[in-house]
Amino acid sequence: MRTEPIPAPRPDPSAASARDHAPAPGTRSDANGPAEDLPLTGVRVIDVGTFLAGPYAASIMGEFGAEILKVEHPIAGDPMRRFGTGTSRPDTSLSWLSEARNRKSVTLDLRKPRGVELFLRLVAVSDVLIENFRPGVMEGWGLDWDRLSQAKSGLVMLRVSGFGQTGPYRHRSGFAHIAHAVGGLSYLAGFPGETPVVPGTAPLGDYMSSLYGAIGVLLALRDRERSGRGQVVDIGIYESVFRQMDEMAAVYALYGKVREREGAGTVIAVPHGHFRTSDDQWVAIACTTDKMFERLSEAMGRPELSSGDVYGHQQKRLAARADVNAIVEAWVGSLTRDEVMQLCISHQVPIGKLNSIADIFDDEQFAARDNLATVDVKGLGPVTVPAVVPRLSLTPGRITGLGPPLGNATTEVLRDLLGLAADEVAELRRHKIV
Amino acid sequence: MGEVSERCGLPLDGVTVIDVATVIAAPYCAAILGEFGADVIKVEHPVGGDPCRRFGTPGSRGDTLTWLSEARNKKSVTLDLHHPKGAAMFTELIAQADVLCENFRPGTLERWGVGWDKLSAINPGLVMLRVSGYGQTGPYRDRPGFARIAHAVGGLSYLAGMPRGTPVTPGSTTLGDYLSGLYGCIGVLLALRYREGTGTGQFIDLGLYESVFRCTDELVPAYAMFGTVRQRHGPHVQHSCPYGHFPTRDGKWVAIACATDKLFARLAEAMDRPELASSSVYGEQRVRLANREDVNEIVRDWCGSLDRDEILERCYAARAPAGPLNSIADIFGDRQFHARRNMIAMEEEQGNETVMVPNVVPRLSRTPGRIDSLGPTLGQHTDQVLTEVLGLSGDDIAALRAERVI
Repeated sequence: MRTEPIPAPRPDPSAASARDHAPAPGTRSDANGPAEDLPLTGVRVIDVGTFLAGPYAASIMGEFGAEILKVEHPIAGDPMRRFGTGTSRPDTSLSWLSEARNRKSVTLDLRKPRGVELFLRLVAVSDVLIENFRPGVMEGWGLDWDRLSQAKSGLVMLRVSGFGQTGPYRHRSGFAHIAHAVGGLSYLAGFPGETPVVPGTAPLGDYMSSLYGAIGVLLALRDRERSGRGQVVDIGIYESVFRQMDEMAAVYALYGKVREREGAGTVIAVPHGHFRTSDDQWVAIACTTDKMFERLSEAMGRPELSSGDVYGHQQKRLAARADVNAIVEAWVGSLTRDEVMQLCISHQVPIGKLNSIADIFDDEQFAARDNLATVDVKGLGPVTVPAVVPRLSLTPGRITGLGPPLGNATTEVLRDLLGLAADEVAELRRHKIV
Repeated sequence: MGEVSERCGLPLDGVTVIDVATVIAAPYCAAILGEFGADVIKVEHPVGGDPCRRFGTPGSRGDTLTWLSEARNKKSVTLDLHHPKGAAMFTELIAQADVLCENFRPGTLERWGVGWDKLSAINPGLVMLRVSGYGQTGPYRDRPGFARIAHAVGGLSYLAGMPRGTPVTPGSTTLGDYLSGLYGCIGVLLALRYREGTGTGQFIDLGLYESVFRCTDELVPAYAMFGTVRQRHGPHVQHSCPYGHFPTRDGKWVAIACATDKLFARLAEAMDRPELASSSVYGEQRVRLANREDVNEIVRDWCGSLDRDEILERCYAARAPAGPLNSIADIFGDRQFHARRNMIAMEEEQGNETVMVPNVVPRLSRTPGRIDSLGPTLGQHTDQVLTEVLGLSGDDIAALRAERVI
């Protein structure tokens, strides 16, 4: 599908290559922040993972000052380079550009002993190692925790896999799509009794695992400051998904109640769902409390609905779920999206548009918060990606560059960090070790 | 977790966190900090407390199970911030704290005289997490926001559902709260690290919608570069095939994810139809995507011919990526969840019941997290904290209680 003029924020090409978000109130003026003054300045991270689960943790660390070395196979590189929508650069998909931000690419064949030896030398001068091979794969190359932690005392290692490093399923291959299913999320997405759908996007669990991974690494680095000792952070993607299932486990254990698919709504509140407007758009309305429903009743011009003997109490609304939803559906369906939004907002009802990506590029909040960052990529022109989250007032993150070409820093890293001479690098190249 | 019998120090031992937030978003950040050693003081309104106590399914004590699980390890102190004395005591608490988590609508704390400027003047090293529906800036900053709204605004809900059908809840209505708790926690840990070197605190400004939006893979660059507006794909995804949910003979569902040609070859083997993976048939992703309906039908037929467990056994044997769509009942029977101790039974003493809650994530080898207690009763630690931290006497506390400040 092709839409007309793309309202992507375009940077002034003469400006800095990364257009980062504007400083929040009370911050210093240089939002990009000099790299030497960020929370992770001086921290070196090796990311030997593929796709997103784990590597996104490295991206976050890079946004906040760490140096990220992406170690990739010399021929294929990270398969994310070829996943999804491609670009005119053959080793570069859009996901790669966005999520391999702030990295240096170093090729190294870990299936060869000389590659393993060089890898250990890189580990020796790094602080954090991030991997997401199937459990046992790194051990098979001689890169077990004992050897790695000997190479670098105080090493922090993040290991993300479908099912974690232990347990009966540890050797099974896992993607976020499988983890959503195993972790209990996919079972809940869709209409009651109908086909369970993807819960929005397929790699959601990869992001979740990386967020937990980044937290684990930051905690371990903090512990290391005091104890001098490193450790392993072990995450199964399914666990990251399951951890977010609010009261589902507790309710089942206590009352034997199995949560089922809830369509566009939720079991715990009404009206709390998605409603279609007269111009065939969708809005989300969330009346979590009685007060919110009272405001909605006023916005609908039917304040009597929120009286105690009608639908004023959540319990009554839940008992009359279909009727309450029908009232809201009829009202929303009689107005355009803009009209519904305006009425709800003026009455302080929690409402939002179901934004498509086209809507998002048009949304004044996204623009005001600079949630879209546009970076000029050599040979590809301007590329727009999500800006840094979270936003820190004193040390905001930065995007120094998007996903690099395969091996763009191999020579530099081998020379500067490992002290190899040019002819040594050439020989490694000849033997396809780098 | 907790395999080590004697606890070594935890990474956040000695860190004091004041959690004046409500429901899940910012409080979940505080919960993680507590799991890894921080002392977390939950400040609640004296009447009713955190609405999370009432949102969801109650346990026998009356507080909801979400509260019991997600207010783990916290101490509850009541304090009415609308009352000048309450605001003054809050300021004294902040003077001795390291981290403050809040998620009021922007401007609320400022109205009570305890905004960032005031608090950071009192405690220059303070790290303050501010979560709200839309962040502290921008035209929507004053609008109320919940995770459901954030899923919609952030672009996730638009993508969940059958093509052209009603968009559905993306699995759970609270995902955006948890995601924000995670981003918030990263922000706090980064800010604490920066403070170690400089002594200077800062605040983290997070909109719920931003946490959701940040996790949308190539949605942004694909629209900016090619004008692609991604739509709902039901149980499938746009870039790979077969990649989706398929019903089995016994009325259950499996997820299959053939992201690469190699993985499809393994599936073809599991199906006993290796010829499907030859390059002249469906060996290449490009060809499978062009014949999406046919490929999905082949997989659907195969899945429909066997029970779920047989499908999964064959996939596992061939190392094809597959998994069950677990209900919570399935999860309680799942060996992996047991082996990894992903759920932990905690005693809730007042209601005299055992509550099963999700265990700590992430798992750290040397300093694993801990769950010492479930969500406290309202004001359970008021006297203790006011005595120990603020040095108030029994008479002081009684007077404050009479005035309904606490």
